[in-house]
Amino acid sequence: MNFETASMRAACAGSMTELAEKHPDLVALGADGRGLFTDLAAKFPDRYVDVGIAEANLVGVASGLARCGLRVVVGAMSCFLSRRAYEQLRLDVALPGLSVTLVGVGGGLGYGTLGPSHHAPEDVALFAMLPGVRVYSPADATEARRILELEVSTPGTSYLRLGAREDPVVSVPAPVGDPRRPAVLRQGGSALILATGRCVAEGLLAWEALHADGVEVTVASVPCLRPFPTADVAELCRPFRHVVTVEEAVEAGGLGYQAVATGASGPATLTRLCVGDGPAPVAGREALLAHYGIDAAAIRRAVVSLVGGAST
Amino acid sequence: MGESMQGSPGDVVTRRICERVIDLAHRMPVHVGSALSAAHVLAALYHDFLRVRPDQPDWPGRDRFILSKGHAAYALYAALAEFGFLPDGTDPAELPGHPTDGIPGVDAGTGALGHGLSVGCGIALAGRFTAHDYRVVVLLGDGELNEGSVWESAMFAAHHGLTNLIAIVDRNAMQQEGDTAEILDTEPLVDKWAAFGWSVSAVGGHDRAALSAELRRIRETATAPTVLIASTTKGNGVSFMADNPVWHMGQLDDELYQRALADLRGNI
Repeated sequence: MNFETASMRAACAGSMTELAEKHPDLVALGADGRGLFTDLAAKFPDRYVDVGIAEANLVGVASGLARCGLRVVVGAMSCFLSRRAYEQLRLDVALPGLSVTLVGVGGGLGYGTLGPSHHAPEDVALFAMLPGVRVYSPADATEARRILELEVSTPGTSYLRLGAREDPVVSVPAPVGDPRRPAVLRQGGSALILATGRCVAEGLLAWEALHADGVEVTVASVPCLRPFPTADVAELCRPFRHVVTVEEAVEAGGLGYQAVATGASGPATLTRLCVGDGPAPVAGREALLAHYGIDAAAIRRAVVSLVGGAST
Repeated sequence: MGESMQGSPGDVVTRRICERVIDLAHRMPVHVGSALSAAHVLAALYHDFLRVRPDQPDWPGRDRFILSKGHAAYALYAALAEFGFLPDGTDPAELPGHPTDGIPGVDAGTGALGHGLSVGCGIALAGRFTAHDYRVVVLLGDGELNEGSVWESAMFAAHHGLTNLIAIVDRNAMQQEGDTAEILDTEPLVDKWAAFGWSVSAVGGHDRAALSAELRRIRETATAPTVLIASTTKGNGVSFMADNPVWHMGQLDDELYQRALADLRGNI
């Protein structure tokens, strides 16, 4: 399987310009990084505000703008947005339930060789712990666009984790209903692979290898991590004895963790593949996925250990 | 003790705010020193300066006030009660120790120091998009200026020319553990703010007439964000509290309560 690739950020940048045209009350904020808003800033220079390398002020200014009824979209690197301004996120945006869409670029291990200062495997968990915040880890550029376009028009606070560079296009089927709900990409009865974000592509690669060995699995993308889609996940898990979850995120509060905590995984065994505590080697993103055991090979090994079947 | 107390006896507006704070401090522990140091500023704001509608606290064209030094909440509630924002019979003891959203007249919840000026910057900037000619006033403590986030927003305000933003520094020269000069010296304040691109004004923080006149001048003539450095006395108005770090937070017994009320009648 060879995936085409696309940049979530570039795709969402296109959405941002369309959204700014549609919503005269939309104001975009960045912190010395306008990758998400380059076109918007060119067309509507007054509606893009760069606060400089100052994430605490970024979030405070977003709060003030949103309090006055403006539709606010904040774009910044996930590592700095999620950690540096956490108190401001909690007290100035989440607690008062302000309508701010927070877009983090390069969450997870997306910045690869730039090192741990730029990694944010805990970004989704941190946002999920803020009161009332909706949290998304889209699988690819198309899923990211769909969710961004919806969230900018949904009251309240949300966080979207985008990739830093080009990511595989996994072609999540066009949603019948809400694109924020889980979507099935492959069907098969031996095991369920629940994946989120970048790991959906890994799940599909694992499906391909397993399929070649005669092991058929279901692969589903779970883009919304909060509110956790308990009923949908329970429905997906019900037919299976074995479930493998995989995410480019720490265990606490993540997809696998919540599948268990909510009871959604039911009686199925649950193998949780996620980013462990060990230090990251100097490596690119794909090598880091392998290092932390959240790539296609690790998923395949997990499935085989559960259901048997193929030569490795 | 008390030598640095300031104020003009006969300022009933301010005294009523102080009395409400002291009444509450008789019933429960209160950040009374910080509340009293801000009383004249609050009186000047709500009586003389802010264009607000107590019966329409969400009026979009209103001036905004953010108590960034949120631990002075009970002084703010006293002002909000005096000026008709709070429903009759509201018991301040049932209000939180730091302002929260949802209390009529509170424009932004605060309490963690260093946030208010950023939020104020956002509201000031919003005025350009919504075409409202309001002013945004943010009251900070001088100890609060220890927080780096204050200076991020100070840079932002100057860079973006937020002439509708007014910061007031309640410069009582004290913080929880003692004198600001000993904990983390923030002086020279005038020079610092000027270096950050702000217009700087300095006024006695317990001279309501001077505060009001200066605020009016700023409204009419500001060409940059303006900071009003108000020299105040922590625990002002009450002889045993003035400049006394013990009264950063405290509760009054019956005897001290009566002494405090008598002091206020004589001093404010």
